[in-house]
Amino acid sequence: MLVVKNLTVKRGARVTLHDISLTLAAGETLAVVGESGAGKSTLIGAILGLIAPSSGAVTWNGKPTGDIRPALVMQEPRAAFNPTMSLHRSVMEPVVAQNMTLPVGRLERLCKGLEIPVEMLHRRPTEVSIGQAQRVGILRALIASSPLVLFDEPLSALDATTQKHTAQLISDLQKEEGFAALIVTHDLGYAVAHADQIAVLKAGRIEELCGSADFAQAPQTPYGKTLRDAAITLGALEAAE
Amino acid sequence: MTLSVTGLSAVRSGRMILFPTSVDIPPRARIGLVGSSGSGKSTLGHALIDDLRKQGHSVAHVPQSPDEALDPLRSMAFHWREAEVALGLAPGSADQETLFHALDIAGGDLRKRPWGWSRCRLLRFAISMALSGQPVLIVFDDPTSALDPVVAAATMDLLNTFLTEQETAMILITHDLGLAAQHVESLLLLDQGRLVEEGPTQQVLEAPQTQAAKDLAAHRNWMSLPC
Repeated sequence: MLVVKNLTVKRGARVTLHDISLTLAAGETLAVVGESGAGKSTLIGAILGLIAPSSGAVTWNGKPTGDIRPALVMQEPRAAFNPTMSLHRSVMEPVVAQNMTLPVGRLERLCKGLEIPVEMLHRRPTEVSIGQAQRVGILRALIASSPLVLFDEPLSALDATTQKHTAQLISDLQKEEGFAALIVTHDLGYAVAHADQIAVLKAGRIEELCGSADFAQAPQTPYGKTLRDAAITLGALEAAE
Repeated sequence: MTLSVTGLSAVRSGRMILFPTSVDIPPRARIGLVGSSGSGKSTLGHALIDDLRKQGHSVAHVPQSPDEALDPLRSMAFHWREAEVALGLAPGSADQETLFHALDIAGGDLRKRPWGWSRCRLLRFAISMALSGQPVLIVFDDPTSALDPVVAAATMDLLNTFLTEQETAMILITHDLGLAAQHVESLLLLDQGRLVEEGPTQQVLEAPQTQAAKDLAAHRNWMSLPC
C-alpha cells in the first residue's frame, strides 16, 4: 500500500506541496485532478523518489517507494520513447535494467490485453499511430510487474474515442494484474468513470479527497464544485439529474 | 447572408486527405466539425477559411494553441497592431476595450511579451484579435484542448455570450462530441477525409446513421460507454 504522509516539498522559498497525506491500496485507482501548477507533477516526482521531500514521507508497505521501482506512463507517447530504438528495445529496458527474467508468455499476454500486435514492436516510435504509441507506453510500464503504476495525463494526446478505449484496457489489465494506479488527469470524466478515489489538488494542498462517485454527485468544496461544473460545460460529465 | 463553399478537396503527398466537400454556413450558425484524429477536420477548416477569404469574406481563425498565434519576441501591443494592419484598420479603431472586457482580460499589460501572460489569457487575447475585424465567421480549432478545464469552460462561456450578441457564425473543430454537444446546433462529421454525416446536433447524437457517427456518439461521454 502506498502511504504518503504529511508530504511537504519546497523548491527554494516556494512550497510546491503542502502537507499532503493520502493512501492507495493495491488494485485501487486514485485520480489526482487540479489546474496547471497545482503540484500534480511534483507529487509524481516525489512518489517516484526523484524529488526529495522537505518533510514527511512516501512509502510502499513501509519501505521507500524507490525500492519497488514504480512505473510511469508519460503524457506524450512519442516523446517518451527513444526515436532511434525499436519499440521492443524500449519496452524491454525495465526488464534489462532490473536484471529480471520475464515469465514465458508475459509479453504476448500483455500485448493481447493492450491490443498491440507483437510484430508492431519491431517498428520505431514514429512508425506507429499516437494511440498505439501510448498503448506501448503502458506496456512498458506494466512489463516488469511493478506494484505501483503512475500515469501522468495518459490520455490527453489521444482523441475522444481512443481515450475511452485505452482507459478501458487499463482498467481491465489492472483487474488482472492488481497494480495500484495513481492517475494525474485534467479530465474529470475519466477520473469519475475509472478511479475509486479522487484527490483535488490546488496550489499544493489537497482541497478534497473522496470517493469518485460522491465527488460527481456532490463536491464538498467550492473549488471542487467549480471543477465539476467546468467538466459539465465541456461535456466530460453529465449534469446530475 | 449564408456563406457557402463547394467542392473543397485536398491532396498531400499524392494521397487524397479531403474528398470534395461542400458546406453552407447560415448567419449566426454554430457548427461543430467533428471526427477522430486524422479524419480531415483541420484540413477542411483551413480549406474553408482560404476559400471564403478568396470570396472576399472576413473569416477569423483561432489556432489550437496560442503559441502558434503569437511571436515570443514581440509585445502584446505589437501583435494587436499587426492584426489591425492585416485587417486594414486604422490604429486603435478596433474596439479593444469591449473585446477585452467581454473575454475578461481587461487590464492586461500589453507591453509584455506573450510569455509574460498566462496561457489562458493568451488564448483569450488570440480570440479577441480574431474578433477585432468583426468577422462573419470564426473558426476555432480545438480551442480548449490546451487549457485547464476550469479556464476552458469559462472561455467557452464568455465566447458564447459574446457571440450571441453578434452576427458572427462559429465553427468549432473538435474530436470530442461531448464538447460539441454543449456548444453547437449542428454537426458535420468527417471520417477519413469524407463528410459522412451532417444534421442537427441532437439528431446526430440520438440517431447516428453511419458507423463513424455511432462510434463518436457512443464514446461522447465517460459515463455512458457501451461496455
